[in-house]
Amino acid sequence: MAFPFVRLCPRHVSTGLQVCSYATLSKASRPQEKSSAGPVFQYVGQNKKPTPKVFVWGFSFTGALGIPSFVVPDSGRKKPRKYQLTPYRLETAEQISSAACGYGFSLIASSTKDASKLWGMGLNKDSQLGFQRTQHSRHQSYDYVLEPSPVALPLVNPLQTRVLQVACGRAHSLVLTDREGVFSMGNNSYGQCGRRIVEDEVYSGSHIIHNIEGFAGRVVQVACGQDHSLFLTETGKVLACGWGADGQTGLGHHNISSSPVEVGGDLSGVEVQQISTYGDCSLAVSRDGQLFGWGNSEYRQLASVTEATQINSPRHLPLKGCGKVVQAACGGTQVAVLNDKGEVFVWGYGILGKGPNLSESSTPEVIPSTLFGRSQFNPSVAVTRIRCGLSHFAAVTDRGELFVWGKNVRGCLGIGKRDDQYFPWRVTVPGQVVDVACGVDHMVAMAKSLL
Amino acid sequence: MATPAVRMFRRLEGLFCVYKPSGVHWKLVRDSIETNLLKVLNATPSQPLPQEVRFLAQPSTETEAPKGLTLSATSVPVLSKHPLVSGPEFQNIQVGVGHRLDAFSSGVLVLGVGNGNKTLNDLYRTRVTRDYTLEGEFGTATDDFTHTGGVVERSTYEHITQDKLERVLAMLEGANQKALLMYSNVDMRSQEAYEMAVQGLLGPEGKSAPILTGLRCIHFQPPNFILEVQCLNETQKYLRKVVHEIGLELRSTAVCKGIRRTRDGLFTLQDALTRHHWTAADITQAIRQYHSSKKHRKRSQSPAKKPALKTSEDVTATQQNEANEEAATRWFFFVLFIWLDHTFLGDAPHIRPILFI
Repeated sequence: MAFPFVRLCPRHVSTGLQVCSYATLSKASRPQEKSSAGPVFQYVGQNKKPTPKVFVWGFSFTGALGIPSFVVPDSGRKKPRKYQLTPYRLETAEQISSAACGYGFSLIASSTKDASKLWGMGLNKDSQLGFQRTQHSRHQSYDYVLEPSPVALPLVNPLQTRVLQVACGRAHSLVLTDREGVFSMGNNSYGQCGRRIVEDEVYSGSHIIHNIEGFAGRVVQVACGQDHSLFLTETGKVLACGWGADGQTGLGHHNISSSPVEVGGDLSGVEVQQISTYGDCSLAVSRDGQLFGWGNSEYRQLASVTEATQINSPRHLPLKGCGKVVQAACGGTQVAVLNDKGEVFVWGYGILGKGPNLSESSTPEVIPSTLFGRSQFNPSVAVTRIRCGLSHFAAVTDRGELFVWGKNVRGCLGIGKRDDQYFPWRVTVPGQVVDVACGVDHMVAMAKSLL
Repeated sequence: MATPAVRMFRRLEGLFCVYKPSGVHWKLVRDSIETNLLKVLNATPSQPLPQEVRFLAQPSTETEAPKGLTLSATSVPVLSKHPLVSGPEFQNIQVGVGHRLDAFSSGVLVLGVGNGNKTLNDLYRTRVTRDYTLEGEFGTATDDFTHTGGVVERSTYEHITQDKLERVLAMLEGANQKALLMYSNVDMRSQEAYEMAVQGLLGPEGKSAPILTGLRCIHFQPPNFILEVQCLNETQKYLRKVVHEIGLELRSTAVCKGIRRTRDGLFTLQDALTRHHWTAADITQAIRQYHSSKKHRKRSQSPAKKPALKTSEDVTATQQNEANEEAATRWFFFVLFIWLDHTFLGDAPHIRPILFI
């Protein structure tokens, strides 16, 4: 039998098992281990479902990210983190099904029947997150909520009702439930909360969460603009209330409306399937794929039909080459639509996503799908969800990847740098992104783990 | 005047590819090919020895008187040029190896002879991708990521479905696509970066971390699976590590059972010579094929200004590679100022070092 070859391993060698400083047998002469010896580990069973996760990034000093240690560090040695430039995991008690980002605050909701199903964080100076009782006095409310805190909705059956969707505007928020209609809270100086305007009302520390009446049918979607609100019923009708100086309510006048009124114009008789707004321009997508818009058109959002800068009644937008529109997203100065083939069209003003040379367009421009990951190995990648923040865009593909582009306001893009992004760029999220909510300077993404 | 051996050597100059079997060091392949070529080169019938006129003293017999030296002009062969004196004409030839393959892997290995080595250098300074087929097996993790290594851990794999594997591969591919953009030296805020991103031309120049530009599963039968990978700046150990990491992402373990390079730049498995064809005749034929296909490519794209400026958005990865490699061969064989005309790349700083070859 040959003498087994023995060699001394230096401590620095880190090849697998041979990290030791004494003599050991080399691989060639080690007796072959029986393959059935040794334990077999099981990390995951066959019925494992993907874990839901929430990621936040952007400007943190308003508390909108929901991570208090960014604003008030745990230990004296740490410094406050003003901008979170990459996705950061937010631990939540329940699986979050809906999230919305407003101007400096966020609302996250779970579709559970438990008592706490809605949490808010961020700016609360107009009670847009409800009354958040302070530790010291039960009559005072926090102006800045640093952690996701439950919002007490005045539900008739709190253990039966589920929250379907949340929407946030500049200083107000809307909550859509499945059995009890729409609740609104926050600033009502323009009637955006759908209740009667009270002169000199103090919104800070207010307990009012109003259940909006006046809907003929069940509401299936809500959208918040800067100071106005849009509601979509299951029959396809759109109702609006709030500030109308730019015509964003679409009610045919430029006055304030303090209760929801049905929107007419080119939308009468049309069944709408989706509404979208974030700034002062509003969009609606009908069930047969047509796009209607109204409101502010100073940035050429509606310039394909009219040169007027304020349109107070919905107009049909004939989009050439877009095909059947499936989703629309409206930002502050820019607009994006998604067609049934998964292609994204953008127009408006700002960083539109086709390089620095294209900063303004009044007709839809398609974003090449190679920028969303289409390649020789993946010829059929399509975008499934499109969202707009105030000056940026977000797109989620069918493979669960998140692409963002636009103005990087205080790190809201989440790409690791503070530069503006002129074409779609992947955000590295550890997981598959399901949905994303865009705000002015922060974003919230709902993802699930790969396995 | 060139000797027949030198003429034969000129015919041998160029690039060709061989199929390196696994278990063999690449240097042995290169050495055996060099030996085969040398044997044939030195076996070419040499020219007849040149003759020279020398004045030799005639051999004088004992009987004649030694009165002066009689020299007579005789034509004698030049013995210093005899192969037995000077040695074989070719002692060694420059056979260069392109991207190396380690002993565990097999597949296309590009070699260059003589002048072909310069092309080899240029070709590999451009962004040329390589295709691999990786065979993996779930259930084990070893210390060197292969099935012959020492087992570190064993784990279950019944929960793995093709759908989950596709999800992990999609995630890896997304991360690598992002790495392509990150390693490119173009300013992301310029219009040029957008144009290049649309056409898929953004990528690292020169050395960078390994990037997989394409990844997909072509066969899945637990515990075995086969992946097809297209990559840049990689090493085979990195690819085995990728298989190991895929196992970890799937909450299990995996080892690599085989790596096979199916394409290196423009050389595919079809053009690769197997072991029995590592003879000078086959190699000459392969090189001739390479030269003729190169002429074909030059002729077919000389009317076009620049192959990479295609406006269609469906530029596939192989077309991009072809564009890069054709560009590389053009750079070597055409005058350099043709490239300076192209304003598209004229002011990109990363191109300049290549122009100074």
